[in-house]
Amino acid sequence: MKFESQKVAMPYFIAAIGLFVGQILFGLIIGLQYVVGDFLFPEIPFNVARMVHTNLLIVWLLFGFMGAAYYLVPEETETELHSPKLAILMFWVFLVAGALTILGYLLVPYAGLAQMTGNELLPTMGREFLEQPTITKIGIVIVALAFLFNIGMTVLKGRKTVVSLVLFIGLVGLAVFFLFSFYNPDNLVKDKFYWWWVVHLWVEGVWELIMGSILAFVLIKTTGVDREIIEKWLYIIIAMTLITGIVGTGHHYYWIGTPEYWQWWGSIFSALEPIPFFMMTVFAFNMVNKRRRNHPNQAAVLWALGTAVMAFLGAGVWGFMHTLAPVNYYTHGTQITAAHGHMAFYGAYVMIVLAMISYSMPLMRGRKAANSNKSQVMEMWSFWLMTISMVFITLFLTGAGILQTWLQRFTETPQPFMVVQDQVSLFYWMREIAGVFFLIGLVVYIASFFVGGEEATESKARSSV
Amino acid sequence: MADTFTKDMARNIFYGGSLFFFLLFLALSYDTNSALPERDNRQNLTETVAKGKLLWEENNCIGCHTLLGEGAYYAPELGNAYKRLGGKDGIIGFIKSRPVEGIPGRRSMPQFNFTDEELDAIAEFLKYSSGINTANWPPNIQG
Amino acid sequence: MNEKRYPPGDLAIWIFILAELLVFAIFFASYAFTRASHVELFNIHQLQLDTDIALVNTLALITSSYFVVRAVKAISVGKRSECVKWLLGAIFMGLIFLVVKSVEYAHHYSNGINLRTNLFYMFYFSLTFFHYMHVIMGVVILSVVTYKGYSGGYSAAEHTGIETGASYWHMVDLVWLILFPLVYVMR
Repeated sequence: MKFESQKVAMPYFIAAIGLFVGQILFGLIIGLQYVVGDFLFPEIPFNVARMVHTNLLIVWLLFGFMGAAYYLVPEETETELHSPKLAILMFWVFLVAGALTILGYLLVPYAGLAQMTGNELLPTMGREFLEQPTITKIGIVIVALAFLFNIGMTVLKGRKTVVSLVLFIGLVGLAVFFLFSFYNPDNLVKDKFYWWWVVHLWVEGVWELIMGSILAFVLIKTTGVDREIIEKWLYIIIAMTLITGIVGTGHHYYWIGTPEYWQWWGSIFSALEPIPFFMMTVFAFNMVNKRRRNHPNQAAVLWALGTAVMAFLGAGVWGFMHTLAPVNYYTHGTQITAAHGHMAFYGAYVMIVLAMISYSMPLMRGRKAANSNKSQVMEMWSFWLMTISMVFITLFLTGAGILQTWLQRFTETPQPFMVVQDQVSLFYWMREIAGVFFLIGLVVYIASFFVGGEEATESKARSSV
Repeated sequence: MADTFTKDMARNIFYGGSLFFFLLFLALSYDTNSALPERDNRQNLTETVAKGKLLWEENNCIGCHTLLGEGAYYAPELGNAYKRLGGKDGIIGFIKSRPVEGIPGRRSMPQFNFTDEELDAIAEFLKYSSGINTANWPPNIQG
Repeated sequence: MNEKRYPPGDLAIWIFILAELLVFAIFFASYAFTRASHVELFNIHQLQLDTDIALVNTLALITSSYFVVRAVKAISVGKRSECVKWLLGAIFMGLIFLVVKSVEYAHHYSNGINLRTNLFYMFYFSLTFFHYMHVIMGVVILSVVTYKGYSGGYSAAEHTGIETGASYWHMVDLVWLILFPLVYVMR
């Protein structure tokens, strides 16, 4: 760790992991509610547990992105962070606001929370992933602005590298597109049209810039490959991301009241959206193959390679499976969507944050380069447990989705929604079991932080590829 | 290697390509906006419907249901509920009749204790939603 | 150093060109596929298109590509100002294309015909507008390259930028040469 101020990333990462645990616990709750319908009803109805699950995911990933930025920007720009104090202050503001919001979801009926927080003054509550009270959303904007200011000033002060520039563009994009969450017209079609300017342009747009730049950083550090080569490929990858992803937004405009030409524009461009993820996979493996050193932190290398592969599978392949309009007509709003969503988020965004934590935590805790072999082995176990569990979760949901699509949408004699849900319940039970294994993997992951021992060195390093 | 493929060219393609497609997307969005009046059933977007939408949001119906295929996948699609449940009466009757303690062992919908005025607004909102031109989606009445 | 290297210009632009050609190919294939199930509709509305004006556009683009070829030839023997003149000519031809196409679009719109009129026009507008935007981009790229050439940024030994811009422009021309017969002519 070259600059003292990089250490502010540590609380961000710790909070991220803590919230991740919360997210999974609630995931298990809603997974169980799928098959034991009155579990925790009416104290914690499904919709409440779900919004806790999804909001925790988004918030912990944001903590992860901010921690990643606080760690890598000083190192890239070769200067101390503009204001470590501001970073720590914002950390607490975000954490407390986030915790209060989650408590609000759990302790107060949602309509009551809406009234308490003055939603009627500027109604922004009640949309998927954007359930936060308007005041929380304003808080998020303030935290984001302070964060961007801090990072921006640091970049201005120091050396401008492609990695830090691309990360910064991604983060600015994240903040700008979040502003659309404040636009909630009475017109349902317009509501949905602009909702996707937040969600799609986030996860299939600017978030990919964030992921790409963090991946590039980790690869530069762990492989020793020339920065020029890595940064060149980063530009090509993010170019393909936006070239396919911006018009690719159209794959959300097939059936929500917008004109039919989106079925063509959206299908064609979103079909190409796997390309940047494919490139990231080739890129990651190529750089590792061309490496000039065997970095002692093989766990971090494993996460880096893993995120590229899982992102390609989850976002690229599973996304492609249901992106063409003629297919989507039948699968829209089914478990196919849930299957894709889970693997895509895990592969692209969960894993890149974990890769960054894996790389930087040992350094922030005083190691020269990596944790002990024992710790890394445990961490790698957690990688496989969580990743394989997620693959099974996705496979089971895909099975449920295919059967659901057939029974409820495609067949000549379609069956009612609840009847179909009963018929796919075996898949849901299996998914829940896979979810339990995922949690076990997460517990092993956390345990690995407490395993000590002599630091792994370059020569003794266990190669994971 | 350096001559065949420069970082500067990659950078230019990124900025140029992104701007190009952003402009194209804006052009298509502009056209979509002009097309909406004939598709989005706005002629039926009354005060009551707007109130119904607010109730829909403040009670987080999307947390269990889908609307035009978007939302949670725990409970049925409601974009065509107006047709499937037999009009406003069917919708209102269903919401009114949800047991407070749920149905043992089954996925349960809360009892929201809506007033008659609120129930009417929600039903109006769902009626309005069912009139949007969604390119013939969903494929059938089951949603 | 820039020996006879294929493909000409920066390799990055070729990745981009291939991606672009892929998208256009998919669009063309979609057009052909859709037309097969709507032959009547496509034939009727195709007759409403102005083939004369499209011919003017075709000639403009072919000429501009020829000018670009001459420009590359000129710089390859160090004739900087001649190169710039040819590039300006190419840009001028590109602008003619844009003006003519804009007039054509204005004509359609004043008759109430747009992207949503029917399936044929959806393809017509999508294909031609997507191409139109590429012509704009091509003109921008050629302008940048022309300016750099004018300020002495290229030589016989090093003119990758001009070859890069030229490759992109030829792609734009090639796409039109497929689009024009496909949409305006073939029945």
